[in-house]
Amino acid sequence: MQAVAGLSFEARPGEIFGLIGPNGAGKSTTIRMIMNIIAPDTGTISFDGSPLSEVDKDRIGYLPEERGLYRKAKLGEVLEYLAAIKGAKPALYRPSIDAWLERFGLSEWKHRKVQELSKGMAQKAQFIAAVAHNPSVVFFDEPFSGLDPLAQDELLAVMVELKQKGATVLFSTHIMEHAEKICERILLINKGKEVVYGTMADIKAQYGRNAVQLEFDGDASFVAGLDFVESVVSYPRWIEVELKEDADPDVLFRALAGRLRVRRFETVAPSLHKIFVRLVGGEEAQNVQA
Amino acid sequence: MSRLKYVIRHEFRLTAANKAFVILTILGPFLIFAVTVLPSLLAQSPGTVASGKPLALFGAPPLVEQALKATFSGMGIEVERVDDAATAKDSVLDGSLLAFLSLEAGWPDNGKAVWYSKSGAEITLYSAASAVLEAAAREARIVESGIDPALVAKVLSPPSFEVIKLDKGGAEEARGSDAFVEVLMTVLVFVMLIYMTVLLYGQMIGRSVVTEKTSKTVEIMLSSVKSQDLMFGKILGLGLAGLLQYAVWVSMAFLLKRFVGPLLGLSLPASISTGNLIWLVVFFILAFFLYSSAYAALGAASEDEQHLGQMAWPLIMFLIVPLVMINTLVTTPDSTLVVILSLFPLTSPIVMLARVLVSSPPVWQLALCIALLVMAVAGTAVLAAKIFRVGILMTGKRPKLKEVLRWVTVK
Repeated sequence: MQAVAGLSFEARPGEIFGLIGPNGAGKSTTIRMIMNIIAPDTGTISFDGSPLSEVDKDRIGYLPEERGLYRKAKLGEVLEYLAAIKGAKPALYRPSIDAWLERFGLSEWKHRKVQELSKGMAQKAQFIAAVAHNPSVVFFDEPFSGLDPLAQDELLAVMVELKQKGATVLFSTHIMEHAEKICERILLINKGKEVVYGTMADIKAQYGRNAVQLEFDGDASFVAGLDFVESVVSYPRWIEVELKEDADPDVLFRALAGRLRVRRFETVAPSLHKIFVRLVGGEEAQNVQA
Repeated sequence: MSRLKYVIRHEFRLTAANKAFVILTILGPFLIFAVTVLPSLLAQSPGTVASGKPLALFGAPPLVEQALKATFSGMGIEVERVDDAATAKDSVLDGSLLAFLSLEAGWPDNGKAVWYSKSGAEITLYSAASAVLEAAAREARIVESGIDPALVAKVLSPPSFEVIKLDKGGAEEARGSDAFVEVLMTVLVFVMLIYMTVLLYGQMIGRSVVTEKTSKTVEIMLSSVKSQDLMFGKILGLGLAGLLQYAVWVSMAFLLKRFVGPLLGLSLPASISTGNLIWLVVFFILAFFLYSSAYAALGAASEDEQHLGQMAWPLIMFLIVPLVMINTLVTTPDSTLVVILSLFPLTSPIVMLARVLVSSPPVWQLALCIALLVMAVAGTAVLAAKIFRVGILMTGKRPKLKEVLRWVTVK
């Protein structure tokens, strides 16, 4: 069985890279191969231009999709152990761990057993385990899953911070909105194959088309039937309408008059989700969250 | 290698800081004390069971009464004459009497002797009583038949018989049945020690590996260390904890022998000698590595702890076989079957240790046994590392034996 095939991409130092795709697209398999946990049948993984070696792994921080820490051990001990096996010196990782625990409000849990942590706290602890040894590259596999919206925003901010400090941040997600917020470069995959790859700006420009985001009261089902409308994607609070190439948004605005109570009408570059839907078709896109 | 060190340290800490480990390490010697020294203590003074209660006697002729009194006063038990059998039985029931021995009129030829007690379990006491009665009855019958008692004594006196253990150095060691019982006790204690610790540590390693899977720590570990570092780190970490435990036990045995024993006027069996203690540690180390590598492989191939328990059974059987055969081991240490078992790696640590204790196995057999063990340890470790590498990442399904065999052949 082949999980991924023919993927090729690179992340540059100091950039945030998103590996995006629906569930089962092969994101975790790709990351596991990069982390040398499983070996690819063919192909190479390079780090700083030369093949990835065991030593390079020390400079990478990893947050696996399958979360778990030694439950019977104390939180501080586990974090120190995980930093030590990355080859970090105690003088470096001890203050770093304390600072991160402080940052996530976990300082008082340092001497308690991991099994006493709540699920959200354990998630944060696992995040600290990935970054405590000050890696130059961090890999987060689905970092946002299981976090409440507040914690998700906190994590997004931390990732931007890591990037600003010069780290290369790679993460995988099936939630396009997160990728859209912070990624500079993305690889969108589906069924183990590349769908689109490039910088966010390039992709938007390439697939940038006539689109309008619309917030309204009333029934908008007629919009999809208008002859100058290419497609409509519904979001919980708005719809995104893609117009045919030569159509003017103004035509749409006039067509809506009197039939809907429009609260927001905004011409936009298409969202990543929209691009994904266009590229893989609506059925596949069901698995992806906007 | 540098990473292996951290894994070893972590696993050692997790094990040695465990309450059960500390308790077992400290209580172990007391258990051993209970098994080795306590029986001889009790055998020396069966009176300790009596706790000061008197033994009631009914209907015994004066000569028999005297003989019983003499025997039981040696055990610190008073013998009281009673006249009412019914009251005596009541006193036994309410606990004020240790037991009640009743001789019917006409004893020994036309009446019974009966021992009444609450439990019927004080075997040392009633066998002593029975022996006294037997001698008394015999004497009475001899007198009745008019035979000269001196002649009878001559006829019945046992001829001399000695058991001597020959050692290679030409030394001859007199061995009464007591000495043999001592050796038997030591074999039992040593064999039980190896069996318990190897099983305990093996299972700890198997569980530790399965936990790595079920707690999902394996991925983050493998992103930092190689799979064989993780496996050998676990084995060596727990092995160090095991050695620490043995070090505590062996030094306590020395202390007991040197200081506590003489203080209490007791002696540990001569077979708990320095040489034999060294053999114990050597065979523990070899058995530990063999079984813990096997357990690590089993752990990696199991889905959860329950599954591990089922898969470990065939392995445990090899540990149990020598235990079941302990009688054969001790009585025929050089029979073909025992020699084969003392060379076959899965049973050899226990069987060879027992042979070393009871007889002197040929040097070539000892050397072959250790060589085979070392090879088996190396082979098992290599196989285990391969199974571990693939198996540790397999979650959510129970692999079939065929699959596991394929993992071994993966390059």
